Amino acid sequence: MNWFIIFITSSVGKKLVMAFTGLCFVLFIIVHLFGNLTIFLGKESFLSYVEDLHRSHKYLIPLAEVFLLIFGLLHIVFGLVLYIQNLKARPISYNLRKNAGGRTVGSGTMPYTGLFLLIFISLHLVRFRFVEKITQNDFTILINTFNNLGYVIFYILAMVALGLHLSHGIWSSFQTFGVNHPKYNGLIEKGGILLSILFAVGFASIPIYIFTKLS
Amino acid sequence: MSLNPSIPSGPLEAKWTKYCSEIKLVSPANKRKFEIIVVGTGLAGASASAALAELGYNVKTFCIQDSPRRAHSIAAQGGINAAKNYQGDGDSIWRLFYDTIKGGDFRAREANVYRLAELSVKIIDHCVAQGVPFAREYGGLLANRSFGGALVSRTFYARGQTGQQLLLGAYSAMLRQVKAGRVSLFPRREVLDIVLVKGQARGIVARNLVTGELESYAAHAVVLATGGYGNIYFLSTNGMNSNVSASFRAYKRGAFFGNPCFVQIHPTCIPVSGHYQSKLTLMSESLRNDGRVWVPKDPKDKRRPEDIPESDRDYFLERLYPSYGNLVPRDVASRATKAICDQGRGVGPTGYAVYLDLSDAIKRDGKEVIEKKYGNLFEMYERITGVSPYVSPMMIYPAVHYVMGGLWVDYNLMTTIKGLFSLGEANFSDHGANRLGASALMQGLADGYFIIPYTIGGYLASDSFPPVSPSQGEFEDSKKEVSEFIRRLLSVKGRRTVTDFHRSLGSIMWEYAGMERSDEGLRKAKGMVEELREEYWQNLLLTGGEREFNQNLSKALRVADYLEFAGLIIEDALTRRESCGCHFNVAYQTPEHEPLRDDQNCAYVAAWEYGGKERPPILHKEPLVFENVTPGIRSYK
Amino acid sequence: MNGTINLTLKVWRQPGPGQKGKFEIYQAKDINIHMSFLEMLDVVNEELILSGKDPIAFDHDCREGICGMCGAVVNGKAHGPKKGTTLCQLHMRHFRDGDTIVIEPFRSKAFPIIRDLVVDRSAFDEIIIAGGYISVNTGSAPDANSIPVPPQNAELAMDAAACIGCGACVAQCPNGSAMLFVASKVSHLALLPQGRPEAAKRVLSMTGRMKELGFGNCGNERECEAVCPKQISISHIARLNREFLKAGLFSRET
Ligand SMILES: Cc1cc2nc3c(=O)[nH]c(=O)nc-3n(C[C@H](O)[C@H](O)[C@H](O)COP(=O)(O)OP(=O)(O)OC[C@H]3O[C@@H](n4cnc5c(N)ncnc54)[C@H](O)[C@@H]3O)c2cc1C
Ligand code: HEM
Ligand code: HEM
Ligand code: SF4
Ligand code: F3S
Ligand code: FES
Repeated sequence: MNWFIIFITSSVGKKLVMAFTGLCFVLFIIVHLFGNLTIFLGKESFLSYVEDLHRSHKYLIPLAEVFLLIFGLLHIVFGLVLYIQNLKARPISYNLRKNAGGRTVGSGTMPYTGLFLLIFISLHLVRFRFVEKITQNDFTILINTFNNLGYVIFYILAMVALGLHLSHGIWSSFQTFGVNHPKYNGLIEKGGILLSILFAVGFASIPIYIFTKLS
Repeated sequence: MSLNPSIPSGPLEAKWTKYCSEIKLVSPANKRKFEIIVVGTGLAGASASAALAELGYNVKTFCIQDSPRRAHSIAAQGGINAAKNYQGDGDSIWRLFYDTIKGGDFRAREANVYRLAELSVKIIDHCVAQGVPFAREYGGLLANRSFGGALVSRTFYARGQTGQQLLLGAYSAMLRQVKAGRVSLFPRREVLDIVLVKGQARGIVARNLVTGELESYAAHAVVLATGGYGNIYFLSTNGMNSNVSASFRAYKRGAFFGNPCFVQIHPTCIPVSGHYQSKLTLMSESLRNDGRVWVPKDPKDKRRPEDIPESDRDYFLERLYPSYGNLVPRDVASRATKAICDQGRGVGPTGYAVYLDLSDAIKRDGKEVIEKKYGNLFEMYERITGVSPYVSPMMIYPAVHYVMGGLWVDYNLMTTIKGLFSLGEANFSDHGANRLGASALMQGLADGYFIIPYTIGGYLASDSFPPVSPSQGEFEDSKKEVSEFIRRLLSVKGRRTVTDFHRSLGSIMWEYAGMERSDEGLRKAKGMVEELREEYWQNLLLTGGEREFNQNLSKALRVADYLEFAGLIIEDALTRRESCGCHFNVAYQTPEHEPLRDDQNCAYVAAWEYGGKERPPILHKEPLVFENVTPGIRSYK
Repeated sequence: MNGTINLTLKVWRQPGPGQKGKFEIYQAKDINIHMSFLEMLDVVNEELILSGKDPIAFDHDCREGICGMCGAVVNGKAHGPKKGTTLCQLHMRHFRDGDTIVIEPFRSKAFPIIRDLVVDRSAFDEIIIAGGYISVNTGSAPDANSIPVPPQNAELAMDAAACIGCGACVAQCPNGSAMLFVASKVSHLALLPQGRPEAAKRVLSMTGRMKELGFGNCGNERECEAVCPKQISISHIARLNREFLKAGLFSRET
């Protein structure tokens, strides 16, 4: 396996890992978003979705979780290594540095939105995943959480971060995989931004909806 | 000392092949024991370094720039000639040979030029194999275009960046040898002396431009591929670092200097815009394929050029030279342009410019086609002048561009110093009194890839080489001399900057030893240069010290050499009692103002020997014998 | 069209490698707008010399945008404000009277400063040494037309090969990555049939060397493309990535 380690720890290899794991997250959150949006159909629909999911995919879910965990760790560790290496590549920074027109808010903040997402996900998991679910169920947790204005704001901010992270991340991972063709570039770039907006708005709508309508 | 060009016997077509099969070879095991110093990393130097290292020699390569890739060959735009006859338009080695000899106004050696034409074919093969992205036809085969002075399409090109692509090919081939451990690179070094031990060139003294330290290096042979000295005119199309120093120091050590007065003026450059101007930019000659050169018939016509109707324009090249028209060779086009401007018929703010108009071609072929061919040149023009050539015709004026003169070399490319070779623009070359477009790149690469690997072997195999070390007397002496020179310059402490001196020298040279020369003017220039040189050593203002990165000092060293070398150019121009190619002496012209050659008395290469300090140089003449072509009148009418 | 402007220059001065540097302020008066940026510096330098001060050191050679020797970060952008332009081809007509211009050297760990605005870019040579060539010995090539190259590929290869090795991409890249430079060479050679045999080895060794030399990693920030004087497209980086993926997973090279 030595060649594989060399491969993925190289400059471009690390990026491939970021792109691969990042895209897997995107797949996950697509599913996650659709699942969570069932809240708009009412308590029953939401709970039955949660139950169905856990019942019908008995093995798949834990397996997916293991992968999510590994990928998450990889994404974080590689992201940090890249961040540090990149900082070191320019020990003295410019007195005046301007954007030449390539950089976007999303691309310029990747490590920061990433770190923010790390905090978010940690809290999110503590709140939703690693809690006892005997006296409460996913629905009650949701209601309890999002009746707290602090949580709502935190979630909205996190979703802004997610949107930003992905506004660059989706396009970027295609580029990292070498998918760049004049015929499709527009689609990938615009599609990526559209998707990130949908994610941010979609996820953010839930706390807002609960806070305003389901209290 | 007698000049022996060492031309092999036998029929012209067989000379090189015969020579190659008879030359003494160095055994592969011995090649490893030989060290060769190559100075310069342009097309000539880089290709020589690569080819020599591939054979197994140990090569040390020097250049002034921070990377060998930046040698001035990078700036060549137009293309490279080769007698491939891919277009089936009647080209052949013979025709390329003939065109080059004729283009040079019959002042080059037949044998050398023939060899050049012969090798041109291999150059293209090699460069394509290296990945040079030459332009292609729809079917994927190589494309060609025609170039000034030729009636066939034999010029290969990579957009307007042919020199760059060829150089990057040679550069990367050389770096491949760095990886193989056979080439060591010494960038940011300026070679300031050639060290002779027992009459053989055995090393160099170079200044490390970063630390200012003088360093010496020993070898079994030294190759100078240091490019041209056009910068002596201050304004030229050459890079700012181009200089004559290495060749000139070699001259002072005993290498003869060939035809120093043969300086080519390129007709299509962007005109000077002000006093601050630091260099001139060439607009590729290829533009003349599709462009038409004109001035308004009425010099007082102040309309915008695009508003001047056909009937009020004077397409003077087409008028004067009906058969070649806008494609006449460079010297002819340059002189015609200057003549028109001198008559007060030039255009632009200074009156020293004429129009180069591509609007007919744009109408004929469409903007797209023209953009594909010349897009980057148009962009460059617009960037510099702020005017778009798609809208308004370009303005052009001649500028110093290339020097045919250089160190005198024999058929082996060896100078009159044993073991000192010279390649590319630095030697007195195969271009006679005038170089045709797209043939300098060809010569540089022929010299480097295909000639020197053979001839240097012949030298190394047939001479003996006592061991030398860079710490021995000859090296130390030379180091001391250079160091003394530098210190003297630094101690002048006057009030005029190097650039100021250089500018003055340039204007003297341009005025009196440029496109048109007269005995009277040349003599005047001689005095003026003398005076300027004296002032230089009394009134030069330098800052900084010796042992540091000091660009001003490097420049001062070069200008010091120019001030001396200028005398040699003038001397050479004065002694050549004819007009030929780019050397136009007003005393020798036809009633139509065409140069008047004197084949009876002037069919020679002027090889100048250094006469010693403050003594006049000594002229040696290498007679040119034409056995295969008859020098005809070079007519482009 | 004609005219002169006055400028304030804030220039990074550093006497030598590893030494402390600082900004100095100079007034550039009566600058003709048709001058190039370097000619403007020439004028300032002439005045500095006449007043006995060391002129500002800056690298340059061709002054026509092809050798890649010039370059500095001008007002926060490598090679200055104009797209597709080297510093030597940036003309003063793009500035306005009274402007303050901040001039800094290219900053990257892999490009140590030699003096003022002069940096050592030999790391680029090192990257080419690692594999930026086609291994063919002189004299052994077949006839040039024996391998046709589709003109589209030749054009794309030429787009990439146009790189002048100036280092602006590194200077501007927020990550100090040399990816555009490396990609231009990898892409140029990968697009030609002549370059295919060594393609896998080349991409692995060149990107490997880039990392060793201390350049950062590409995060697809696109700043390089925006300042590249030859406007080399990041689609060449994508091609490098493809080549890398292919080489890493499916070739025998490591
Ligand atoms: C703008 C322009 C366009 C041109 N276009 C064409 C064209 O289209 N076709 C064509 O055939 N020809 C063209 N030419 C001519 C051609 O480019 C040159 O003649 C040729 O490239 C010279 O190559 P070279 O290797 O001899 O020297 P150069 O490329 O000039 O290289 C000289 C080398 O020597 C080094 N050097 C010099 N002095 C010293 C020293 N003292 N110590 C250490 N190193 C030193 C330099 O650093 C450099 O590496 C053009 C020339 C110019 C200026
Ligand atoms: C857990 C916390 C996270 C951290 C610390 C983090 C960090 C980073 C960093 C630093 C990068 C930029 C790497 C570079 O180009 O140099 C990055 C890229 C990326 N991230 Fe994240 N991220 C996190 C979460 C996420 C999530 C949740 C997603 C998706 C939903 C995601 C998707 C991506 C994608 C697609 C990329 C682009 C990869 C590429 O450029 O090829 N990340 N991440
Ligand atoms: C506001 C919107 C969100 C809601 C309502 C929500 C809801 C939930 C719920 C209810 C669970 C628990 C599922 C279970 O029973 O195991 C969960 C798990 C999780 N959520 Fe979210 N989530 C939201 C946004 C996000 C976002 C934006 C991310 C990532 C960027 C995310 C990542 C996760 C992860 C990784 C898990 C753990 C999955 C598992 O272990 O199976 N969630 N979320
Ligand atoms: S890719 Fe562009 S910016 Fe980078 S070195 Fe090449 S030419 Fe300069
Ligand atoms: S700016 Fe840098 S991050 Fe990549 S796309 Fe260009 S190298
Ligand atoms: S000086 Fe050559 S690119 Fe600017």
